[in-house]
Amino acid sequence: MVKQIVIRILGLALIIIALNFIYNFTLYDKDLYNECEEVLEMKKKKKETDILYFAESSNFNVQDKDSTKLCISEMTNLFFPKLKIIAVNKPAAHAGLYRYWLTQIDPSYKPKAVIVTLNMRSFDAPWIHSKLETPLQECIMLIKPYPNLVNRFLLSLNAYDNKTEAEREKMLQNEWEWTEIKFPFPFKYNTVRAWDNNMGWGGYKHPDGSWDFPKIGLACHYIKAFAFNINDENPRVKDFDFIADWCAKNKINLYLNLMAENIQYADSLVGKELVFLMKENRDYLVKRYNKNNCVVIDNLEAVPGKEYSDQVWTNEHYSYKGRMTVSKNVANKLKDQFNNYYIKAY
Amino acid sequence: MSFNSLQFLFFLPIVIGLYYLLPHKFRWMLVFVASCYFYMVFVPKYILILFFIILIDFVAAQDIEATKGKTRLFYLIASLTANIALLGIFKYFNFFNENLGSVFSFFGKEFHPWNLEIILPIGLSFHTFQSMSYTIEVYRGNQKAEKHLGYFANYVLFFPQMVAGPIERYGKLGEQLKLEHKPIYKNFSDGFKLILFGLFIKMAVADNIAPFVNDVYWNPLQCNTSQVLAAVFLFSIQIYADFYGYSTIALGCAKLLGIDIMDNFKTPYLSKSVSEFWSRWHISLSTWFKDYLYIPLGGNRVKVPRWVFNILLVFLLSGLWHGASWTFIAWGGLHGLMLILEKLFTKLFKFKMPDRWNVVSVLLTIKTFVLTSFIWVFFRAESFQKAKDMFKAIIRNVHLPGVDISAVNAIVFSVILIFTDSVIYNSRFDTLLGSYKPQYRWVCYATLIFGLMAFSGTKKYAFIYFQF
Repeated sequence: MVKQIVIRILGLALIIIALNFIYNFTLYDKDLYNECEEVLEMKKKKKETDILYFAESSNFNVQDKDSTKLCISEMTNLFFPKLKIIAVNKPAAHAGLYRYWLTQIDPSYKPKAVIVTLNMRSFDAPWIHSKLETPLQECIMLIKPYPNLVNRFLLSLNAYDNKTEAEREKMLQNEWEWTEIKFPFPFKYNTVRAWDNNMGWGGYKHPDGSWDFPKIGLACHYIKAFAFNINDENPRVKDFDFIADWCAKNKINLYLNLMAENIQYADSLVGKELVFLMKENRDYLVKRYNKNNCVVIDNLEAVPGKEYSDQVWTNEHYSYKGRMTVSKNVANKLKDQFNNYYIKAY
Repeated sequence: MSFNSLQFLFFLPIVIGLYYLLPHKFRWMLVFVASCYFYMVFVPKYILILFFIILIDFVAAQDIEATKGKTRLFYLIASLTANIALLGIFKYFNFFNENLGSVFSFFGKEFHPWNLEIILPIGLSFHTFQSMSYTIEVYRGNQKAEKHLGYFANYVLFFPQMVAGPIERYGKLGEQLKLEHKPIYKNFSDGFKLILFGLFIKMAVADNIAPFVNDVYWNPLQCNTSQVLAAVFLFSIQIYADFYGYSTIALGCAKLLGIDIMDNFKTPYLSKSVSEFWSRWHISLSTWFKDYLYIPLGGNRVKVPRWVFNILLVFLLSGLWHGASWTFIAWGGLHGLMLILEKLFTKLFKFKMPDRWNVVSVLLTIKTFVLTSFIWVFFRAESFQKAKDMFKAIIRNVHLPGVDISAVNAIVFSVILIFTDSVIYNSRFDTLLGSYKPQYRWVCYATLIFGLMAFSGTKKYAFIYFQF
């Protein structure tokens, strides 16, 4: 009986291998289009790609009043008109996705460089435990390192990190409550919860003595978004480590484009302690990744507060002037590698 | 734990492997632990409800057997009351309260219903009905009371069928759980076939239909007539594929452990009449109601008005069994009404159902499918208003452009299921496949595996009957 079963299991394995080939040639692209369209686009444009630009919404978010609607990658491309920079964007994307996008690069059509957006908020608890994480995890199922047919089946079994919103919210609250924020100087609040509560209850008041709720809300939001220490255990750090290693192994120059954050508002609304954390985290990332074939483009303080599209929330969406500043910084760093292609666009 | 989860695909082989590795005397413990774990993946604390049912009915059955006369009846009533009270608290309390509130407000009185903030334990109606059948059978003297608490617990908890049936009788399942089963190749082979087929019809058929049906039921008034009609018919297929898929997987899992559980479906949409439909749809529930309610009420050996009452009562309760909502009651009531009309019509016109397949039987089958599909609207709609909107959209929205949703996938897989049913008719998938030559059998395996792996819905939908 054991022999009978083993033979049949082998037979089934062979069938699955054959079916995987059929799937790859027939349905895979259609499924990829439905689940992970940006990767399909990247694959389609592989022959014409010189530089790949992986990003979240910071790249493509533009405002109606902007005098130019070009996104950061397109603006960067103006400095290298003879090169083709292909952007692969997805709202709320982060290193956990980029690492899978990267593995979809065809070894025969490797780009000359890859620019990966390094968004500081993507290291924080609200982004890690965001409710958007479940759909993001779903969309990378088809590019996981297993046979495509198996990935497709795992997708239908929802065999990915598909925690419910309530579960994610619980994890977030837990992290705010218990994760200690470390300062090299004495500071009275050592958790997000404590700091946030203090701001919430004793923050800003109007001259007439009433609470200035919009200002309090924004200050609290800055605390929740930036009051954390990046360390080796952060899941995004592990993802970026993978990205850096992968690019080194495949001999592709990597540019980590650390996005600008509204340091001015963080300072004026919350104070120097928060700015200290932001800069300390920036220093950690620069030190960790600015080596070998990897270059960190430090934009953290590059964009002034008024150039952020949203003045009542934290984000990395900039006016055209902000995008121009970031793209200019990116181009300046790329110039070292692509000096022959560079022109002074603006 | 759901059958259509990665977790289950690991859980099952581990349990099967350990089951045959362990000596017989320890196997009941494995089945018990595995079943508890299987259930606790949903909401761990609710296992206590099951333990309560098990203890009550185990003790009650011992007492029923040990006593005579009215005392036996007392123990039976105590056991049934405890089971029904559990159902009442978890499933019907809020429904009852809300309706009481409506009655009060109708008479101009003030009543503030106090609702329980609880989630309905998965499969509660199934466990309670299964457990109640045991005490009733002991009371009737058809079943000896089980002396081993572990075996009885396994009868209530048996993981392949614990959350959505089939509702088994102790005489069949309980006794098999006590036997020593040797690993037999045929059981493995049949079990695999059934699980594969069950997963296919749940994940590839039901889960591909679900998005379309959900979209239409979300806002029927925006859809045009053909879209709403398609949703009406496709839901019939969806709920069948969903529940039939679950039952087939359950059958396959039990088979792997050497245990036979009953078929819950026999190609119900190939029924020529509503009464035939009920002999082929959710058979374990129909037979439960027949054995423990319809026949004790006198069945059809009574005068016509009483028979009408019996039928209506059974079907109204069957509707209520499904869910604490008037729409479910209406669904049951309509089925009862159709069955009564059908019987009266047959009697009045001395109409005889054709035995063979011919034009008349095909037309009757289509009639039954259309009828049951429209009745399903009340089952699927969350309120009478929604059901009304569905019918309104069918009549009024003929010229509406409708919404941008595609039913192609849903229709293709529905046709596949109907075709498969017509091939399986009056047989079972494993039996039918077993009769094929090996090369055809393997083509079927390959087709099912490809269908399952490449075409399953990308959104996972919980089994519909889990909520009951």
